[in-house]
Amino acid sequence: MTVPAISVDGLRYSYGDLEAVKGVSFDVQPGEILGFLGPNGAGKSTTIKMLTGQLTPKGGSARILGVDVALDDPEVQAQIGVCFEEKNLYLQMTALENLEFFASLFGIRDVDAMEVLRRVGLADRARDRVGNFSKGMRQRMMISRAFINKPKVLFLDEPTDGLDPVTSAAIRTTIREEADRGAAVLLTTHDMFEADELSDRVAFINEGEIVALDTAESLKLKYGTRSVLVRLRDGNGVREEHLPLGGDGSSARLAELAGSPDLLTIHTEEATLEAIFIKLTGRGLEG
Amino acid sequence: MSLARIWRVLRKDLALGPRSPFFLWALVLPVGMTLLVQVAFGSLFEPVPRIGILDEGASAITASVAEMEGIVLERFDDAGDLRAAVEANDLDAGLILPAGFDDAVRAGEQPPLEFFIGGESYAANRIILSVTTIDLIREVEGSAAPVEVEVVSFGDEGLPISARLVPMVVFYALVMAGVFVPGSSLVEEKEHGTLMAMLVTPVRSREVMVAKWALGLLLATVMSVVTLMLNRAMGARPAEVILVVLVAGALTSMIGILAGVVAKDSTMFFGLVKGTGVLLFAPVIFYVFPDWPQWIAKLFPLYWVIEPIWQVSVMGASITTVWQELAIALGITVALIPITAFLARRMQAQMAGQ
Repeated sequence: MTVPAISVDGLRYSYGDLEAVKGVSFDVQPGEILGFLGPNGAGKSTTIKMLTGQLTPKGGSARILGVDVALDDPEVQAQIGVCFEEKNLYLQMTALENLEFFASLFGIRDVDAMEVLRRVGLADRARDRVGNFSKGMRQRMMISRAFINKPKVLFLDEPTDGLDPVTSAAIRTTIREEADRGAAVLLTTHDMFEADELSDRVAFINEGEIVALDTAESLKLKYGTRSVLVRLRDGNGVREEHLPLGGDGSSARLAELAGSPDLLTIHTEEATLEAIFIKLTGRGLEG
Repeated sequence: MSLARIWRVLRKDLALGPRSPFFLWALVLPVGMTLLVQVAFGSLFEPVPRIGILDEGASAITASVAEMEGIVLERFDDAGDLRAAVEANDLDAGLILPAGFDDAVRAGEQPPLEFFIGGESYAANRIILSVTTIDLIREVEGSAAPVEVEVVSFGDEGLPISARLVPMVVFYALVMAGVFVPGSSLVEEKEHGTLMAMLVTPVRSREVMVAKWALGLLLATVMSVVTLMLNRAMGARPAEVILVVLVAGALTSMIGILAGVVAKDSTMFFGLVKGTGVLLFAPVIFYVFPDWPQWIAKLFPLYWVIEPIWQVSVMGASITTVWQELAIALGITVALIPITAFLARRMQAQMAGQ
């Protein structure tokens, strides 16, 4: 049986009286991307901070590659890569210097930092100071730094937050490549499209608790309502009809509308992860 | 604790140093202050008399000149070289002592004596060297001085103000390099989140602290030694001066790390250093005003490093005379380690909780 790369059991953390993480449990297998989906303040970042050794758990247990995080073992840190939400790079250093320095902290002597920069499209800016980089370039630097030690476990905290679609897509491709290499990825995001596109499984976290954990497809099937949207000409306007799939009389009605001379379009409607999240928690993901 | 990781963090800080205004300021300030003090109190361009001697025998005059602290002596083997050095104004004066000169003087003969004076030499130096030479010849002759000179000092007896300001200049070298550089570097890493970025690698927070402390120790030691050299205060035992300065660097750097750990951001760090600056600075004032009750200076932590520096560098004392002060300084440094370690753990939790 494969040992999970990340194994979390009843993990808890509180800031004073505020219980931020209330006993979450989940596993992430090597090569798997687990999307941690939830609004700001749901407990996503606190969970990552406990798993990366920044915070000491106040309850439960967590293992990275089979080692208890409470042991604060540098050998565990040597196997992980972290991309923070905050862009914490050395701005006075060049891109190359940043990567070489962090590689040295991992004890890597023969790092090919240029190749890493090439992967994120920054090879031509390798010798420029990071302070002169745009927001998107800095984010790509953050990703490349997280990959510098070829980690077995990757923690990515909002890796595409606030980026343009092109940069976001490039970063998502790189994350998928890392998972394909065999890295377990814990991806926190409040971007439902990103979670849907990248994640093998999705965990919904709300107010410190995991309220659902499954593949995106299963969650949609379980909590969503499948329907079709039919748009018809109605005099000078447009009339819409939502027909639930499998509902009583839906098939007959759909056949009737399909033959109508007023028919404009028919679209299948699928529940979004956000809609499911709202259904489960009563709140949106942006909150 | 990994020395390799400490070295990597320290190396990064040393590489980033020239890009940091604080680092540069720590290098410039002590040098600037030294120049200011020396210009203000006239010790910068103070001409030291320089004499060259070609001694064809083994004259007592040469030995006496060599022992004089206020005169620079250069020995020559060739009269032509000596003359050329005086002509080039490399020396203020040149003296050729023929073989058997002392015996001839004692026998009451009047042996020839060649004494060159540089045309561009300071008048004061010419007078000093001429009078000194004549006095030394009289000593060799064994005759009594023709006049008895009564020296009357005006003003208070004691060290010149430029010497009494040495502790202040060294203090600035120590505090800028030892307190500000490591402290501000740590705070900057906290503010920019780079400290947290390091702490999710195999680097432990104690290794970062040791690296920052070593940065302060190294810079404080180098800058203090440079400052003492510029002030011509390395004393007769430079190795002992360096040892004393190392202890001073260790304490000031520990204070810097402590301030850096306590401060949440740069504003708080500078407020903290400014607020406690008077406690750090206080002992220095007692060297400028020696009439004040000196025991008060002992109440302040940096007294225990400034006093040994003063004694060993300026006063020329042996390090053994200040071992108690050094022991107390090391004791304070060691006592600060567990306090800093405790606060560092709290700092890490606070950073992660933000």
